[in-house]
Amino acid sequence: MEKSYQQKQNLYEPLKGIKVVEVAQGVAGPHCGKILAGLGAEVLKVEIPPDGDWSRKFGPMIPSKDDLESSALFLHNNTGKKSVVMDWTEKEGFVNLQNLINKSDILIEDWDLKDRKSLNISKDFFIKQNPKLIEMCVTAFGLSGPYSTYKSTPMILFALGGFMNIMGSPDKKPIMLPGFQADYVTGINANNAIQIALWERDSISNKGQFLELSMIETLINLHQAPFEMDHGGNRQRMGHRQSALSAKGFPPGVSSVPAEDGYLTFGGGSQPIFETLCLMLGRPELIETEEFQNVFKNPESGVLMDKYMIDWMKGKTKQEVFIEVSTQWLLPVSPINTIRDILEDEQFNHKNAFQEIDHPMVGLAKYARLPFSINNKKLNIKRAPLLGENSNE
Amino acid sequence: MNNSPSLNNLRILDLTRIWAGPLGTRTLGDFGADVIKVSDPRNPISSEAHVNEKLNRNKKNIALRLDTKKGRDIFLELVRISDVLVENYRPRVMRNFNLTYDDIKKVNPNIIMCSMPGFGLDGPYSEFPAFGSTAEAMSGIVSMMGYEENHPIQTGMSYADPVSAINLVGTLLTYARHRSITGEGCFIEIDLSDSPLGGIGEYIVANSVTGYQRPIQGNSHEQFSPHDAFPSKNTDEWIAISITTENEWGKFKEITSIESLNDSKFSSFKSRKKHEVDLYEIISKWTQKFSSTELMELLQQNEIPAGRLSNYHQILSDPHLNSREYFVDFSDINQRYDGQAIPGHQLSKEKWTPMDELGKSSKYILRNYLGYTQSEIDSLEEEEIIKPATGDYFI
Repeated sequence: MEKSYQQKQNLYEPLKGIKVVEVAQGVAGPHCGKILAGLGAEVLKVEIPPDGDWSRKFGPMIPSKDDLESSALFLHNNTGKKSVVMDWTEKEGFVNLQNLINKSDILIEDWDLKDRKSLNISKDFFIKQNPKLIEMCVTAFGLSGPYSTYKSTPMILFALGGFMNIMGSPDKKPIMLPGFQADYVTGINANNAIQIALWERDSISNKGQFLELSMIETLINLHQAPFEMDHGGNRQRMGHRQSALSAKGFPPGVSSVPAEDGYLTFGGGSQPIFETLCLMLGRPELIETEEFQNVFKNPESGVLMDKYMIDWMKGKTKQEVFIEVSTQWLLPVSPINTIRDILEDEQFNHKNAFQEIDHPMVGLAKYARLPFSINNKKLNIKRAPLLGENSNE
Repeated sequence: MNNSPSLNNLRILDLTRIWAGPLGTRTLGDFGADVIKVSDPRNPISSEAHVNEKLNRNKKNIALRLDTKKGRDIFLELVRISDVLVENYRPRVMRNFNLTYDDIKKVNPNIIMCSMPGFGLDGPYSEFPAFGSTAEAMSGIVSMMGYEENHPIQTGMSYADPVSAINLVGTLLTYARHRSITGEGCFIEIDLSDSPLGGIGEYIVANSVTGYQRPIQGNSHEQFSPHDAFPSKNTDEWIAISITTENEWGKFKEITSIESLNDSKFSSFKSRKKHEVDLYEIISKWTQKFSSTELMELLQQNEIPAGRLSNYHQILSDPHLNSREYFVDFSDINQRYDGQAIPGHQLSKEKWTPMDELGKSSKYILRNYLGYTQSEIDSLEEEEIIKPATGDYFI
């Protein structure tokens, strides 16, 4: 590997010396850029005037001295970057962008077929000039195939990705996960692809790559059950219960149920867990009742078990139930935490999951750090840039 | 251009089970890394419903009793020749085997070790059992999911697991590259409950400033309307429609030719939002005349964001995914699985191998990687250090 990096990088900034240009907007591409910045890369966000990245105008909004610096969505997904304003849709701006890309290791863009046509660029356009460049192209459906011209939102992707169909109650319409989950997982996968290509470039080939990543394929990789299920049917929505992976189904009690001040999710699926739960509830006779044990074949048992669990939790808070069940019965369970709960949670704070950062327009706020620790230490992140903050550099 | 897969110069020692770990190391295997999965010979890998088969392709399996001295010694020999070790047991398990990072590092100081516990290797909840389904509840995302205010329901898909799996890949490789440059190994911890936080980061920022908690609201959206799943003419087949601009709304009215949509109460986002119940009833009547695929094609041809809620059968026969040659067929076991979404130089598909049965590569690894003789291998088998059991085991 090239020794030129060696002087610059350390465990807490492993990508120091790597230069990234980001023209992608919204969530998927920028989330990838945010991860790279968090790892120490220099990420230059190139925003189109006058308003920049569209996520600057997308909620949730928080009080700010400047309307374009008030989106919590933007603030979260652009930590650690620099921002320059440049209209690369015009000829002169495009030449300037090209110059930046020629000096960079990584380009993150979200140009679909239509965009590539109007920019008049082929897949190898930038790499021809900068053979070490890793170009990450993030789109909803990719650059080929019948859906490549389709329009999308996170919900459309969850629908086509097969997740919506298995979420929610069987007797109600399917529901989706909150926010931009399709984009977030794709942003993480964009970083994965880039890290694989960087590994190859810097350990073997000394060459970059054009990488075309789609959100739809990313989502479909995240199904646990095989698409050809053993019962020959489809995976079912199970409401507040976990959706079964096979014809065998899950025993009752693998569900989200209320305590005094909020809900908990009980995990499980195995016979030992089911039996311990029955003992905890003081109902050992259920262990012997075979027809009770398969909620897939006997939905009524799920309803009854929920009732027993709710009765058992009467008068206890969700945190009390969590501690008691986890320590006395060693069953997998968790309170369904609100956002406030996680910010105040002992474990998350022990693990240093959040970082308070000051911002000139919005002041102090707490941010989730990157989701890993190195030698038991979380990496530090820096605030998101103001629009065009680094244009003069 | 070289044709070898990107990661064929990396060896991964894989002590993961269930879902998050195996899905993560599967990606490394798909890109040609030499993934050695170590399993307890007393616990047969369940073939129930092909879940494990799906997650453990492109890996070699060695069966090894880590709770015996000989088995542990063999494991440490493997540690010595590996670049990365990944495990996702409960924290006490690796401690009981005397295989914590401190132990591992003595044998291979430059190794990268990654643990994937539920709530953390240390801290007040560290010893509590956790699954993907409970870790997602812990993370906060579930508090925003459901139909009615204050009635959260779990995702049903154990979201913390797959997100942790994808978090693993890039993190490991960043530090593999760091090690190649500096010679320095490290210990990585990825907590299942921590992984989903990145995907709700905007709500964390907002809550920390204003106390905002996004309400539970089904599929309803803060900036788009209509935005929901609507029924089609077939039972439990739905179409997702999300109108993001007034232009799209205009086109939608044109395509559907529903007279009542021209009512002034639907003329802006704000008023549509206010009359969403009426609006959805009208749209549902129209969507029930068509199949979800017909609706998707019709609306998308007119540049309106729409997608059918694909079920598993529809995913397998999806024209888009098939035209991109996304799937992979393992003819030996007659299964069709998802391919690899991450682009780059993957192991070419004709070289992909289905899941190794328990201990299938034990002898191969002992002989070819560690130089064991046939008689040494025979005695390990006799002593049941590497001998696989039979029967069924919970996935």
